[in-house]
Parts: sequence; structure tokens; C-alpha cells
Amino acid sequence: MLKGKLKFIIAIAIIALTVGYLVYGGVKDTMVYYLTVQELRAQVPTVYDSRVRVSGTVVPGTIVKDNKGSLEFQITDGAETIDVQYEGIIPDIFADDVEAVVEGVYAKNDVFEADTLLAKCPTKYESTDSLYENKETSY
Amino acid sequence: MVETGSISIFLAFVISIYVLAASVYGVKTRKWDFVRSAENGAIAVFFLLLIATIALVHSLINLDFSLKYVALNTSTDLATIYRFTSLWAGQAGSLLLWCLVLSIYTAIVVLQSRNRDRELMPYVLATLATVSIFFIGVITFVESPFEKLPFTPLEGRGLNPILQNAYMAIHPITLYFGYVGVTVPFAFGMGALLSGKLGDAWIRYSRKWALFAWTFLSVGLLLGARWAYLELGWGGYWAWDPVENAAFMPWLAATAFIHSVMIQEKKGMLKKWNMSLIIITFFLSIFGTFITRSGIISSVHSFAQSDIGPLFLAFIAFILLFSFAMFLYRMKDLETENRFDSILSRESAFIFNNLLFLGAAFAVFLGTIFPILSEALTGDKILVGPPYFNRVNVPIALVLILLMGVGPLISWRKASLKNLARNFLSPVLLGILTVIILLALGMRDVVALISFALCAFVTGTVFTEFFRGTRVRMKRGENFLSAFLRLVSRNKRRYGGYIVHIGVVLIVIGVTASSVFVTEKQATLNKGESMELRNYSLRFDGIEQYTTDAKNATIAHLTLFEGGKEVDTIAPEKNIYKYEGNREINQETEVALRSTFKDDLYIILSGFNPDGTVTIRAMINPLVNWIWAGGIVLLLGAIVTMWPSGKKRSEQAFVRYTVREQDATLNA
Repeated sequence: MLKGKLKFIIAIAIIALTVGYLVYGGVKDTMVYYLTVQELRAQVPTVYDSRVRVSGTVVPGTIVKDNKGSLEFQITDGAETIDVQYEGIIPDIFADDVEAVVEGVYAKNDVFEADTLLAKCPTKYESTDSLYENKETSY
Repeated sequence: MVETGSISIFLAFVISIYVLAASVYGVKTRKWDFVRSAENGAIAVFFLLLIATIALVHSLINLDFSLKYVALNTSTDLATIYRFTSLWAGQAGSLLLWCLVLSIYTAIVVLQSRNRDRELMPYVLATLATVSIFFIGVITFVESPFEKLPFTPLEGRGLNPILQNAYMAIHPITLYFGYVGVTVPFAFGMGALLSGKLGDAWIRYSRKWALFAWTFLSVGLLLGARWAYLELGWGGYWAWDPVENAAFMPWLAATAFIHSVMIQEKKGMLKKWNMSLIIITFFLSIFGTFITRSGIISSVHSFAQSDIGPLFLAFIAFILLFSFAMFLYRMKDLETENRFDSILSRESAFIFNNLLFLGAAFAVFLGTIFPILSEALTGDKILVGPPYFNRVNVPIALVLILLMGVGPLISWRKASLKNLARNFLSPVLLGILTVIILLALGMRDVVALISFALCAFVTGTVFTEFFRGTRVRMKRGENFLSAFLRLVSRNKRRYGGYIVHIGVVLIVIGVTASSVFVTEKQATLNKGESMELRNYSLRFDGIEQYTTDAKNATIAHLTLFEGGKEVDTIAPEKNIYKYEGNREINQETEVALRSTFKDDLYIILSGFNPDGTVTIRAMINPLVNWIWAGGIVLLLGAIVTMWPSGKKRSEQAFVRYTVREQDATLNA
């Protein structure tokens, strides 16, 4: 009986340890620092060539698309601005002034080479601000 | 209509408090009239919330822009069906729907169990009422769908075009039925803890309701995946986004629960475990609602957010503290009636299944809250992305598939070598054969090989079971079809479960193939030029642009050749919506999808240029349709499992080991 119980404890411990190991290894190998543009600039030069995620607002007028589908733009957090280069699927809502999240590597020539580009709506979703623009003719 | 709505939800709130008070008071003092009146109150709450929902739907359809909710989620150019579905497009409407669904469930629980389990039910009702009070309170006082604007705009902000899709119309409501459905088995668990009636009744009710909620969660998740695949235009269906994880976590815990309840029913074991599991499942469901509703974890979906976060956190803390305090208080009554005999037994297969499901839920939970956790602990915001989730969950999933084959065939208590050989020889051979064939065909991806081999193994075990059962009946002189149908209809739970497993196998095959063997290519094409993709070739024939009232559409016309033969025409679109108001999202990429059971050709128009060229991104995603087909099989299996049986007696027969009731007289 005791021997049987021991087997169970060992089996359960193995499962728990394996899951723990998978989680630990997964976090260690895939974690990515999430920085603002200012934080990224502050970590130069140590940040070069390591994988990070950066968020910032797209600077209006800086978006340049070429025919091959690659994209250049700048993002800013008000304090600092960086150049971003990206190739891949461009989200539908990506445009001037949206909050963009890019993931990739900050190269030594100070261009952020992104392989992931996400975009978020510029305003909070349920903001009523825009409704006021339709207000003028109402009571 | 608006006043009707806000008065109704206020009344529903007050009556829910009464339901809680009257049911607890009634059962404590043995004044059953109070319990009866609490039950009637629960039904009244349902009608009030129904009226409130109808009032909101009425305002949405008639575009009453004086309501903030209507102005934010509809517009004059919105089709009537989407005016209706915008009921769950925003925060307040979703929460109203949450309350309505919970009140429907509560009413069903009340009607089903009148005059039965008199000691247990009042506490179940009290738990359901407590959850109702919280959610109805939120929509009454914090986030009212009937909130008025100080002015009436002429035009609303409209519904995000990516939400204007048939899947988006049904996916959220399906998921809600699942999310909210988890509340009911939790309420039975709490009812059992509060009343001390820890016998069969709660586990029997809980199992049925958990299965019901699980089915909705599964289908809701798949519909969401399908929507993302068709509408988001990045070529995949699952991205480990917090919002997806929010629904996936309770699904994992619920899956563990619907398996481990069987052990409690049949062997009287794992009582503490099951009680903890249902509490965890409910916690994850509320936590999921919290993640999606509070916006605490940034998600690309970034829909409906507001500042109800702290309220939710307080409620979650209360639920966890209260349930686990009750759990500790009753712990001594949850002693097991049997011991585990051998590690090679069905019981232990179930235990391992449970540990792995819970391990996966934990890993997903940790990954989802990692940014918050790391920021709180170290000050740095650290993310773990899809690579983390895949690395952790793929191995766990593979072992789970193995167990899915082992569990149903291994004997209870202690499996002998003879039993193992007899049951598993042919399925194992089938798995090995699959690997050999796939290797011969040139497949070298280890994970895919293991996954397909395990799928073949599980399929083998399930067919063995169906085959044996049918053969036994055929020996008694029944023909094949009637033997098969009777086999299933006499053991709906067992064979329905196997059908669900086959559905899961199909999904796993589809997921494996479409995540390991994707071909992707991007090219900029002049008119008349072609791009090659494996044995497909796409020729760009020209661009078409047209304008409707709502949008400017650009369509790229392409001709598809397969092995040199012309097979189809393909037309991906890019639409620019014309809004007079100020809506953030006005561009929509409409993917062109050519779907077969072999593969999906997924074509995106990424851009068109002034010189007449287009940029096309093309993907071949193999076997994606197997996922959706698997979903249908899973749903069918679940329906078979839950199909009510005519005879009450067969139901009772499953509960072989009953719990010693502390108070036998109450059962009389």
C-alpha cells in the first residue's frame, strides 16, 4: 500500500516538476521587455541587438510604404522618437496617430527592425468625445 | 422604453437581494414558504432582465442616440441584424446579457428542482443570487446600458466593421452561455458546502451543468477562432491573446472537472479535488470576464474597457476567500471512500489528465498575467508571447492526447498486462504504422509525427470500443446499424464522450498541420504576372474599384492554377469605409479564402499602388477545415452525451458508490 502511494507521489511530482520546468524554460527563453520609446533610448547601447517590444504613437506624416510591402515610420512617446522598419502584414487600423506596438530588434544604426506590428485605437474605445462632433445641429 | 429598462434592472437588483435573504432565512428557520418565495423571486428577476434586454434592443434597433450605449455602438447605416448584435458589442450591453443569461439559468435550476433536495437547493439559489447581485449591481449603478447622454447626437459612432460578421454575431453569445454556465455547477458546489449535503446530488447536477457550459465554451472558442481566421487577416486563428486565454483557461479547468467528476460518481474518490476544481473553474471564468472587461492586460482586441476593474477584483477576492474558507470548514466531510490501487489504472489516468489540464491552465494564467506580475515584482514590464505558450502547452497537449487514448480502455483499479495487451495492441500498431507511412511520405517534423501518431492511436482505441460493443450486440442477432445505434443510445455518456474525443482528434490534426506546415509568400505583381506557391500559381488579372454608400472597395482579381490547370478565380478586397462621424477604424482587409479539406489558400491584398501593381500575401494552411469539422463532431458528441434518457433508472445506475448521508431522515 505504502509502496503504491509512493509511486503516485513520484508520478505526480514528475508531472508537477515537468510543468514547472516547461514554464520556467519558456519564460526564460521567450520573455521580452516591454519598453516605452524613452526607456529604449535610455538603455542604448546595452539594448542593441536584444529582442524588445516598444510602444509609441505613430508620428503623423512619417509613414512610408514601398511597393514591396515594407514599411517605415517613426514612433514617439512625446519625449523621444525612433525610426521603425517593418515588413509584413499591416493592421487595418494602422495610421497616423495610432498607438503602435512593435516587437523586434533595435539595430546599431538606431533603426528598430520590427517583425511584429500591432496597432491600437488612438482613443479609449468607449470614449464619447467623437460624439460631440456630431452635436452641433442637435439640441 | 429607457425608463422601463432602468427601472427593471433596479428592481431585478432589489429582488436578487431578497432572493438571497429569503432563501437563506427560509432554510435556516425551516420556513419553506420563504424558500418558495425566493424561488419565485428568481423567476421574477428573469422576467425583469428580459424586459430590460428587450428595452435595450428596442432602443438599438430604433437608433435612440440619446442613449450613450446606442450612440457608441450603432449608426444609421448599420443593418438591423447588427443593430441587434451590438447588444453585446459594448461593455454595458455585454454585462446586461451576462445577467440575463444567469437569470435564465437560475430560473431553469429553480424549475427543475422544485420540491427536490430541499436542504441543498436554497443554498444553491443563494449562491446564484449573490453572483446576480454583483453583476446586476454593476449595470445598475456603475455601467448602466441605459445611461443617457446630455445631448442627442445625430449620428452614432457605429459598429467596428470587423465586428460586422456572422461569426461575431454568434461567437460572443455562445461564449457567454459557457462563461455564465460555469456559475451553475459552482453554485451547486457552494450549495453542498453551505448545506453540508455533500452527497450525490450536487455532483450529479454539477456534472450536467458543467458539461453544458463546457460545450458552449468549446463551441464559442472555435467560433471565435474561425472569426479571427476570416476577419483579422493575419492567416491564423489563435494568437494567445489575453482575450483568447481568458476563455481558454476556464475551458481547461472545466475539462478537468467533467473528467474527474466521473471518478467521484463511480468510486467516491477525489471529492476535495472536485470541489476545488469547480471553485477554480468559476474563478477563472470571472477572471476571464474581468480581463476582457477591465482592460488591465493590454490586448490587440482592446474592446469595451472601463474602470470597473477594482470592483471585479474585490468580487473575485471575496469569491475565492469565501469559497475556500467554506471548503476548509467542510474538509473533514469530504473524505474519500476508496483508495488508489495501482498506478496502471483508469483512476490514475484520470488523475494525470487532471493534473495536466490544471498545469496547462496554470501556465496560461501565468503567461497572461506575466506583464502585471513582472511589473509589480521587478518594476520592468516583461511579456511572454506565443512562443512561451506553445512551448509549454504543446508537450502537455501531446501527453493529454496519449491519455485520451489510454483512459477509456485501461481497466479500473488495476490493469493487468493481459488487459493492456488485449486493448492496446492494435491501436499502438496503428500509431506506429502512421509514423512509418508519414516518414515514407517525407515528413520529418518530430512534433507533427508524434501528434499524428497519437491521433491515430486514439482513433484506434475509440474504434475498438465501438467495434467491440457493436459486435457483442450483433452476436445477439441484431443487424449492424441497429446494434450500433442501440449501443450508443443505451450508453449515451460513454459513447457520446468517445464521439467528443474523435472531434478533438480532428481538431488536433488540423491544428498540428496548419501550425507546422504553413507556406507563406509575399509578392508585388504587375498585371498579367504570376506568383508561385508550391504547386499553385496565382495570376494577377487586374484591379476593380467601386463605390457604394458605405465604402470604397478595391478588389484584386486573380486566377488560380493548380499544377498548371486553371481551377478558380480569387478576389481579395480592401475596403475603405466612408464615415461621416469620427470612427477610428475605417479600413478593412477582406481576405479571399479558398477552402478545401486538403488545404486553405489564404490570400490577402496587402496593398495596391498607383502604378497598377498589387502586393499580395498568400498562404497555404493545410487541413484547417478539419478544425471546424472537429468542432461539429465535438458538438454532436456532446449532444449525444447530454441527451436526456427516457428511463430514470439508468441514470441512477451510474452512481454506484453513494455517500453516507449524515442525516438520512432528510432524504426520506
